[in-house]
Amino acid sequence: MTILEEKIIRNRKHTNDVVISLSDISKKYIITHEKPTLVEDVSRILRFQKKEEYWALQNVNLKIYKGEKVGFYGPNGVGKTTLLKIIAGISSPTSGKVKTKGKIVSLISLDAGFHPDLTGQENIFLNGLIIGMSKAEIEAKFKQIIDFAGIGDFITAPLYTYSSGMRLRLGFSIAIHSQPDILLLDEIISMGDESFRKKTSSLMKKMFANGATLLLVSHQLEYLEANCNRLIELKRNE
Amino acid sequence: MKKIIKLSKKQRYWLDFVSAMTQKEIKARYKRATFGFLWLVLNPLLQMLVMGFVFQFFVPVRVDNYFLFLFAGLLPWNFFAQSLTKTTPAFFYERNLIKKAKFPREGIILSIIFSNLFHFLIALILLMIALIGDKLLIESYTFMQLINYALRMLWVFPAILLLLLFTIGLSLITSSLNVKFRDINFIVSLAVMLWFYATPVIYALNLLPEFIQPLFYLNPMTTVVEMFHYALMGLPMTMMNFVWVAIVLIIAIFYFGIKIFNKESKNFDDWL
Repeated sequence: MTILEEKIIRNRKHTNDVVISLSDISKKYIITHEKPTLVEDVSRILRFQKKEEYWALQNVNLKIYKGEKVGFYGPNGVGKTTLLKIIAGISSPTSGKVKTKGKIVSLISLDAGFHPDLTGQENIFLNGLIIGMSKAEIEAKFKQIIDFAGIGDFITAPLYTYSSGMRLRLGFSIAIHSQPDILLLDEIISMGDESFRKKTSSLMKKMFANGATLLLVSHQLEYLEANCNRLIELKRNE
Repeated sequence: MKKIIKLSKKQRYWLDFVSAMTQKEIKARYKRATFGFLWLVLNPLLQMLVMGFVFQFFVPVRVDNYFLFLFAGLLPWNFFAQSLTKTTPAFFYERNLIKKAKFPREGIILSIIFSNLFHFLIALILLMIALIGDKLLIESYTFMQLINYALRMLWVFPAILLLLLFTIGLSLITSSLNVKFRDINFIVSLAVMLWFYATPVIYALNLLPEFIQPLFYLNPMTTVVEMFHYALMGLPMTMMNFVWVAIVLIIAIFYFGIKIFNKESKNFDDWL
């Protein structure tokens, strides 16, 4: 069993609008060792063994309301990232039901969708579509994204000429301008220089003032306590 | 531009996504090559010359107009072979993306196939222009002859449709299964090599003993390549009444491709 232990830190105000609802979610992984899948399947059948299974999550029930800032913590391997992936729709649960409302953007995908040979402009379109923005949205926000990333004339240069900081800033700028209803953050993002961080935090504040929901996963409890109004500890009851 | 069909937001997004991914494939391929798009014609042309030289002079194949015969068959074959070998490991290569973002996974496969289709169509159109030009200027066809000739060329459309459905269907199967069973990739590259000789690209089917010919129609690519030979050169299909075998097979593979992909794609994250 995976146990979710709730801790409400500050005046938890939220609407009655459920944006994420997980009912009885379980996720099973099949453990494979160094052998290829097929060899393992065959040798297992020959020895009348069952598949080796690992339950990352078991019977998780959770409701998250619009405008909440939820922090998840717990020991390694308890299923925090799996939970986030299931909410994001990247992974699907073995059993149970997931219901989400609105656009979900996860900031684990900052520069995953970039192609090194395309220019910054071309990459904005590509990455924007990959994280779920429509073409019209990207066109409308195009200039803001470029300005916010602050990479100057490099925007017309191919991406392989960028420094890693520039790549991350561009990726972050696209994600934050995608106007997510639900934002998923895995571990804390601390990037860019002082001025970029300031820009980021003011933009985030604006986003949450408009009722966006935040889900944060971290090991650093103090950080979560400072930034969330609802804390959930994931535990395992063997 | 006026929109004829009204699309839902989701369909609109899907189309935009697949077209953006396709454009990426096309752009990225030639971006840093000096000859750029020229390679797209140069590639099959050089291949035709090399193969034509070998099979014309060393191992003669008795087909009229052999270079044209080769070119007409190589174009669809190359489209098929290149698409299949590139799509099969595609989910595995894009694991970074798949593990981190939610997007229509089929876009990875379709973008590869559609960018190859784009190249294939350009080469095909150039070939058709050259053929019509030849009939008009050198063989000085009459107007009616030319119309008949052009009408026969319309057969490329059903041929392209069958080729596309077959390539998409098979690619979805191999790429989806390759996520769990990585041997598929090696099997496919070997199979494509052998498959080439089981398809009448460098030889004509009617050069083979008659009893063995029906077997070749179990290979849908035989029908597709013969359709191209008919449309572009007027060569009749060797066994017209076996066409339906290919059509049934292609539709079945397309159907199973979508089925298998839908089943497997939910759990790609677990296996990559």
